[in-house]
Amino acid sequence: MAESQSQEDPRTQVEAASKAFEHEFERFARFTGQYAAVQGLTLDQAESEERALAELRTRHLGKKSVLVNCKKSIGRVATEGRAAFGQLVQSREAEIVSAIEQAESKLKDHIQSARTQRESIDVTLPGRRPRRGHLHPITLVRERLEDIFVALGYAIEDDCEIETDFYNFDALNIPPNHPARASQDTFYTTEGLALRSQTSTVQIHAMQRRGAPVRMIAPGRVFRRDTPDPTHNPMFFQVEGLCVDRGISMAHLKGTVAELLRRMFGSKTVTRFRPSYFPFTEPSAEFDFSCFKCGGLGCRICKNSGWIELGGSGMVHPNVLRAAGVDPEEFSGFAFGFGIDRMVGLMYELDDIRLLFENDVRFLEQFE
Amino acid sequence: MLISYNWLRELSGTTLTPLELRERLTMVGLAIDGVEEKDGDSVLDVEVPSNRPDCLSHVGIAREVAVIESGKVRPPSSKPVRAEGRATDLTSVEIRDTDLCPRYAARLVCGVKIAPSPAWLAKQLEEIGQRPINNIADITNYVLHEQGQPLHAFDSAKLGGQRIVVRRATPGEKLKTLDGVERPLDADMLVIADAERPVALAGIMGGEDSEISIQTTDVLIESAYFNPDSVRRTARKLGMDTEASRRFERGADYENVLRAQNRCVELICEIAGGVATEDTIDVYPSPMPSRRIAFRPARVENLTSLSVAETDMKSILTGLGIVHTEESHAVWKCVPPTWRIDIEREEDLVEEIARHFGYDKIDSELPPSNQSGEHQPRELRIRKLRRTLQILGFDEAINFSFIEAVHDNQFELIPEFNTEDSKHAFITLKNPIIENEVRMRPTLIPGVLNSLRHNLNHGVRSCRLFETGRIFAKSDSGELPNEREALSLIATGGASEENRAQAPRETDFYDLKGSLEAALAAMNRGPLRFTKAQAKHLREGQSAMILLADGTPIGSLGRLAESVSDAYKFRQPVYVAELDLTRLLAAEELPVQYEPLPRYPSVVRDLTILVGRQITLEELLRTIEEQQVDDCRGAQLVGTYEGANIPEDRRAVTLRIEYRSDERTLRDEEVEERHRGLIDSLLRQYSAQLH
Repeated sequence: MAESQSQEDPRTQVEAASKAFEHEFERFARFTGQYAAVQGLTLDQAESEERALAELRTRHLGKKSVLVNCKKSIGRVATEGRAAFGQLVQSREAEIVSAIEQAESKLKDHIQSARTQRESIDVTLPGRRPRRGHLHPITLVRERLEDIFVALGYAIEDDCEIETDFYNFDALNIPPNHPARASQDTFYTTEGLALRSQTSTVQIHAMQRRGAPVRMIAPGRVFRRDTPDPTHNPMFFQVEGLCVDRGISMAHLKGTVAELLRRMFGSKTVTRFRPSYFPFTEPSAEFDFSCFKCGGLGCRICKNSGWIELGGSGMVHPNVLRAAGVDPEEFSGFAFGFGIDRMVGLMYELDDIRLLFENDVRFLEQFE
Repeated sequence: MLISYNWLRELSGTTLTPLELRERLTMVGLAIDGVEEKDGDSVLDVEVPSNRPDCLSHVGIAREVAVIESGKVRPPSSKPVRAEGRATDLTSVEIRDTDLCPRYAARLVCGVKIAPSPAWLAKQLEEIGQRPINNIADITNYVLHEQGQPLHAFDSAKLGGQRIVVRRATPGEKLKTLDGVERPLDADMLVIADAERPVALAGIMGGEDSEISIQTTDVLIESAYFNPDSVRRTARKLGMDTEASRRFERGADYENVLRAQNRCVELICEIAGGVATEDTIDVYPSPMPSRRIAFRPARVENLTSLSVAETDMKSILTGLGIVHTEESHAVWKCVPPTWRIDIEREEDLVEEIARHFGYDKIDSELPPSNQSGEHQPRELRIRKLRRTLQILGFDEAINFSFIEAVHDNQFELIPEFNTEDSKHAFITLKNPIIENEVRMRPTLIPGVLNSLRHNLNHGVRSCRLFETGRIFAKSDSGELPNEREALSLIATGGASEENRAQAPRETDFYDLKGSLEAALAAMNRGPLRFTKAQAKHLREGQSAMILLADGTPIGSLGRLAESVSDAYKFRQPVYVAELDLTRLLAAEELPVQYEPLPRYPSVVRDLTILVGRQITLEELLRTIEEQQVDDCRGAQLVGTYEGANIPEDRRAVTLRIEYRSDERTLRDEEVEERHRGLIDSLLRQYSAQLH
């Protein structure tokens, strides 16, 4: 008894602790209730309040707090007052916990939203990426053409760029005195070899290698002695196509070229064949296609004709078949050719095709 | 060629309008470039194919129109002439070189009055772009455009000895042509001469001395057929291109010589007065043979898929002047008219029928599919290379295949081309078009350097380019040059871009090396090796030879030498590489083989040693491998350091060594012991120190 006498009355202690908490909690009271006053706090302030609140919790609910001590002493309180005392301690503790948690939760929410806001970014800033290069428009178009013809059952062929007169002219039925052979039009090396003036040379190599039937296209560089100007270059790229089989006719030529042009310029593209002359084909035809820009009504691109001239074609001349070791009585075939550069020029509306070989990155960057 | 619509209508009786004609002629192979209204007439600009000289005249076009409209050409009519005297009494014609001039006809008109042409004639010529000169010259020009037969009028009084001699020129002879230019002649050129000297370049242009002048009273009208090749050669050699030469060099109608001459003489008498000789001196020693072609009508459908009724075929052939007789039902014998020099074989007849029946009536179908397509295997690999370089920031360049000879010894060529006698290995153009660009490029480097300079001059500072293409050199074997596919890379400026968050870093050797390695790895051709090596265009100490894993050299890589950089005015370091793709593409593709994943963990140990600066990483790695330390799985570079706190002739190299067993987890002490042994041998071999 003497011992308990010497100590303060536990009830008084609990009440005092509760009072003390109320006093210290006063500054946090504004964070509780319906109109919690957290909004005005900056993130830093809110975080420091949160820390202070955590200290408060330790002081009043921690291991060494008065309330916890009182709780421990419940067992020692006289039996008749024990239940009431226990209730008192617990209710006071609950009050404190609830007050702190209310304030804490408000502060936490505020801190989280403030932090989210602080860490928000400008999503319109440029993404981080290495600089991507660009393939040359001639490569882009060439690859497309190759893929189309592979899908149509053609093999892609190539051969040398410097050729003998036999492959560049004779085998193509170009007569010995044809102007194309003149050194005004064709480049010659000091050894008298020609820079191929058309990729038709590959037709002969391919027929010699593969025999008939054969289907192939030959995309590649060709050379003609033109001074560079907005519509000419002394070097350009050409695609030459060849299909030799039994029973091949001009209808197949038309069908193939029309299919190609539809795939390149859209399904509404119309192709037109006009009689023409090439030494290596007979009958020969030039082909035009309906202007992809104006649909045939007439515009700048088609020079108001509604048609765009693209290339030459025809049934392979029997002399050419023979030169390549193919019997023209058994086999017939068609061939066609056109400039890739010209197609690039049309597709991208280039006003000066010299740009194709300047390699200006501001130009190259425009093609994807 | 310009064609007057009114004139054409007189000859063909066409009922089509100029715009309808434009469409119809285009669809039979005579493309019309334009139709222009001119003073009550329309002028059509006809693009005549090079094998159709018969269409280089109004009559020629009228023939095509007649077939289109199933009509007939109306021959031009003029008044019969008052003739007197024999031409043989006044002049003589001798052809000395009948190979170059198979036929020559001369007729005289005496007592003409030279004057300007009547208005209708002058207007007609002006409409089709011809400048009127005087009545005689204009009439010959008019008949040329009407019939396609070039004619020439000489002032007969100025012909020495009153003779015409058709012969090759003798070397040293000269002729002042009508355009006032004195032309040196050679023995390959055919001339019309009088008794003493040349008076005209056969089939090309007349001479000034025998030109028609206001004093002229007697004119000699020449109508002839000259060898096309001879006229073309001479015209090319002299740089001349005239209305006459254009027709003769493609082939005139040797049977129209007299008709055209007669028409010309009639018009002269009518317009300029005068009296013509009764006869013409027509020297035509061996008439040209006519062509007979066996024609199988079935071939029309075989080749074109058009099914044309035989009656339609016959009416087209007849309309075109092609005489045909049925030898059997299956074979017809056809004789083309003398003006159609292009019709030589069956296929030509098929085309004639097809184009007048209509190419637009030909069906459009894909050939039956019986083959599978295939890409060039090489192209597919190059595509991977291109895609990788693109992702690494390289733009693709394409340059001309010719370069200047000043680059001859500036660049190290790929090993394949790097012969002792490089000067004689180049392929040279006989007739370049761009001044000085005479070499077929043996290297792509001058091209990419040029492209780089272009870009730097336009304010671009950071630039990465690649190019693939053929390079050329003489070949030891065979007729043709050695053509190889090459790859060139060039890089300068910032190494990373479009990224504000990263500190800018300048491109260096290792950027280009890494790009090259990545690109070639995409082709799966095995790892490359690099050894320090000197190259003409690369800076000493920053240049390397590129080798395949088996040690075959295939190219070079490094920083551009100052001397080359200065020549291009580059003010920043430029790195460039070139290699022989042909060699690389020929190498075997590496098989991909699965290796089991490790079952036990590895232990890594880093070590930093100080070694002489000349010691390469490759040597260090090789040494480590040679030690064959148990469970050592190899070493990787972590970094190198040279500079402050390190002797000038040394550098610190940090390596990460990996130890792993396939049987068990290694214990620390075991690893420590092996690592110690490895370090000791490295230190010994390179007199190195631990750092």
